[in-house]
Amino acid sequence: MVIRNKRKLKKELLQRMGRRNFVIAGGQSLLGLLLAGRLYQLQISQNEGWRKLSDSNQFNSRSVTPARGRIFDEQGRLLAGNTETYSLSITPLNSGNLKQTLVRLSMLIDLPDEEMIAILKKAESQPKFMPVTVKDELTQRDLSRLAVRSPVLNGVSFSKRYRRIYPQAHLTGHITGYVSPVTPKERDNEPRWSRLPYIRTGKVGVEYALEQNLRGAPGLDRIEINARGKAVRIINDKKPQQGDDAKLTLNMEIQAYAYERLRKGRNDIVTNTADIQAALTTNDEIRSHFAAGDNLVLKDEKERFVPGESGAAIVMDIRNGDVISMVSAPSYDPNQFSERLLTRDWKRLSSHPRTPLLNRAISGLYAPGSTFKMVVAAAALEAGVITSSTRVKCEGHMEYGDRKFHCWFDDGHQLVNVKQALERSCDVFFYDIALKVGINRIHDMAKRLGLGLPSGLDLPFEKLGIMPNRDWKKENRGTVWTPGETIVAGIGQGFVLTTPMQLAVMTARLANGDKAVVPRLMAAEGQETEFAPLNISKSVLRIVKTGMENVLNGVLGTARRYDLDDYGLAGKTGTVQVKRITKEQREAGIIDNIDRPWKERDHALFVAYAPRKNPRYAAVVVVEHGGSGSSMAAPIARDILAQTIKVKGV
Amino acid sequence: MRVILTRLVSLPWLTIACVMILSLVGSLALFSASQGSWSPWAERHLIRAAFGTILMIGILLVPVRVIFKSSYLIYAGALIVLIALQAIGFGQGATRWIAIGPLNFQPSEPAKLAVILALARYFSARTPEQLNSFLPYIPAFAIVAVPTALVLIQPDLGTSLMLLMGGLIVIFCAGIPFRYVSAMFVVFMAALPVLWTNLYEYQKQRVLTFFNPGDDLLGAGFQIMQSKIALGSGGIFGKGFLMGSQSQLNYLPEKQTDFVFTMIGEEFGLIGNLAILVVYFMIFFSIMRLSFRIQHRFGRLVCAGISGMLFLYVFVNVAMVTGIVPVVGVPLPLISYGGTAMLTVFIALGLVNAMALSNDVEDEDFFISSSR
Repeated sequence: MVIRNKRKLKKELLQRMGRRNFVIAGGQSLLGLLLAGRLYQLQISQNEGWRKLSDSNQFNSRSVTPARGRIFDEQGRLLAGNTETYSLSITPLNSGNLKQTLVRLSMLIDLPDEEMIAILKKAESQPKFMPVTVKDELTQRDLSRLAVRSPVLNGVSFSKRYRRIYPQAHLTGHITGYVSPVTPKERDNEPRWSRLPYIRTGKVGVEYALEQNLRGAPGLDRIEINARGKAVRIINDKKPQQGDDAKLTLNMEIQAYAYERLRKGRNDIVTNTADIQAALTTNDEIRSHFAAGDNLVLKDEKERFVPGESGAAIVMDIRNGDVISMVSAPSYDPNQFSERLLTRDWKRLSSHPRTPLLNRAISGLYAPGSTFKMVVAAAALEAGVITSSTRVKCEGHMEYGDRKFHCWFDDGHQLVNVKQALERSCDVFFYDIALKVGINRIHDMAKRLGLGLPSGLDLPFEKLGIMPNRDWKKENRGTVWTPGETIVAGIGQGFVLTTPMQLAVMTARLANGDKAVVPRLMAAEGQETEFAPLNISKSVLRIVKTGMENVLNGVLGTARRYDLDDYGLAGKTGTVQVKRITKEQREAGIIDNIDRPWKERDHALFVAYAPRKNPRYAAVVVVEHGGSGSSMAAPIARDILAQTIKVKGV
Repeated sequence: MRVILTRLVSLPWLTIACVMILSLVGSLALFSASQGSWSPWAERHLIRAAFGTILMIGILLVPVRVIFKSSYLIYAGALIVLIALQAIGFGQGATRWIAIGPLNFQPSEPAKLAVILALARYFSARTPEQLNSFLPYIPAFAIVAVPTALVLIQPDLGTSLMLLMGGLIVIFCAGIPFRYVSAMFVVFMAALPVLWTNLYEYQKQRVLTFFNPGDDLLGAGFQIMQSKIALGSGGIFGKGFLMGSQSQLNYLPEKQTDFVFTMIGEEFGLIGNLAILVVYFMIFFSIMRLSFRIQHRFGRLVCAGISGMLFLYVFVNVAMVTGIVPVVGVPLPLISYGGTAMLTVFIALGLVNAMALSNDVEDEDFFISSSR
């Protein structure tokens, strides 16, 4: 009984244990399901999110800067290109002892102590796996020296990059413009682009105007990074795409000639070393030109050392608007902006007395002077206030109210018609007809010929100049237009301000006679532009153009000594006073330009087209403080046009 | 011959097969953890599995009576080693290891088995009346508490918790009335704040990090975050063997030990993880099922204890790497690299086998003098 009871009890105990085991197994099952559920949640439901995190752990994307598109002249000569260069960087994590590696480097390459300290500081301020740049640009010699010793230089790496080069340097500085590191503003506008390593953006010129075409598309390297930040391998995801090349309408042969011809002016080039030494020691201005990379030394007709002339020269095809040459002097070397521009160099450029950074062709503002007379003549003829035979008597001056307006020719031109007035550049004739036609109609004609308007060249920093009328005066000066202002406007002075490019457009339109030609520099190949009609009557144009022809081939033409052999020129001189001549000075006799301080000499202008019959090219030459339009600017324009015809034909 | 055959048949072959499979999976995982190399982990893991199998066979040959009789002795020995550890042990930041000749040995691992054996023996001698009153449970709690405390002061919070929970499972299976279970639960909850203040700073940090892993992404939160990234990015089928970027690029910490499940998940996905869990549950359930065949309480409790203990390890490890519980440093049995823990599992399996071979033994047999 006891035993049976005991057995029963024992069985009961075993059963209780069995039940408990069931409870445990049940608990295990439930918790097991919990785990399975959690795994489902992580691996299925949230998979995408975790995968992204895993990728960002694994890969560090590195953008690869594309090579910039190149810029060529019309003949495919390189104006802006790229050269490969190598930069040197150290990854502190891989270098072990950064300081020691740097010391070793300093024995191989030029690495001053202060640079070394800066590198160490930079390395401390960022994660150890991020590389620090040691040298932006290694020379070929540095590169080979370092490559041989790379086993002892832990953590040192080289990377290829591009450097922008401008083989034509000063000759095309203002046309290509330059690239330089991104500005804070660019960084704000295009943060992604700005983060590309060694990225450069166009700041002026074609580099700026065609920035979007030239820049290309960045590539992408994915670097697999382990937990210690070490790159395990590089996966080339996307190759960088080089920017589009640009072909300009420019002809380098003509451009180079024009630049040198303009700079020479009427002076002789000094080649004698002793003379150059002497010029450098005695002439501050020449010294500052030298410092800015301009080594031209000239001797003027009075045997004085002078630097190259400054001004602008433009040659344009009057049929399609192609800008064949566009010179602004003095120029600068755009190469120095591609890499870190030294403060010293920047100062030399920005404080240079003749502002080499200013592109005078489109941003230089000059009173057009007598080159404006075609506008006044055309306006008067079109309005019918004069005909080709209307004559005005010039007695060397004109009195209006209590003011006396002088003609450049004191003795007076006597009775002249419009063609003669253009030929001889009679001021009084134009004073008279300007008053007759009125400023508003002059203004309208000027605008039709492209003055006071954007040239259409699409280069940055272009100036509009001033083409005044009555409304303009009221808005900008707040006073009423006076007839005296019309009189001076009649000879392109007073308020009138134009850029050389606008004068080139004016000349091209007059020469073309049919279309309102618009200049172009960055034309797509084979692309012909449709121009709006000029809408100036043929008879008016014939009269004006005959006047321009007479400037060269008339017996009294102001530029009759500077006609172009074989083809002939038509043109107009302009000599622009920069300083008012006082009554006393006039009575004492005006001092010759050559004897005045440079800054007080007249600007010399000449606009021309060639050949005289069936014109093809228009040219503008502005020589700042060059003296007279005829003796200074006209021969330069003639020579440049001769070179143009020689190179490109007619 | 026939006896041997019958005995062989009654061995829990499914369990043994599962253990072998997991050991092999462990080797492959360790092969991947060392970026496709047999050394240093995978080959040793295999050697240990082989050695463990021999150990298992040795133990299953031991008559269950002998195991029963030596239970307290084993327990006493385990306590002595744990105490000795305080004097001669070593380890990084915690004294967990003891050197026996050239081998390093982690005494807290086999201590778990000692606790199970001691408890099983203790309860198998209790009468039903005793089991329904509270007093007889006090020595049982003491059996659990002493080694738990010794491990806790090493300090090894994870293992001590495992010991405690494992012991409690055995006590639960022994049949402790539910009223005491609920009372204990209340006491435990009340004791929580006290426990918290006695935790080490790094232990507290781990618990805090668990609740807010984003707070400390470079420190304690790093591990769990990287583990979740690895698991989650594995998806259904995983990134492929040796292709787990998290593991291969060393983002995943401790991938050869505590986070080995994560690495498998990254490389083999949900399929791989579930397959492993299924194999584990086959072990747990087959041991539990085996316990019903055993007619002595000692054997049943040992089986329940071992099944429960193994389950606890698997559950806490997986829950830890999936971010359900804080990181406490519990390895995944048979897969994580670690000699003592692995051999302990094989010893446990030997014990289970020994129990399986004793299904003709009953409680009384243990108390009858030897000549039978």
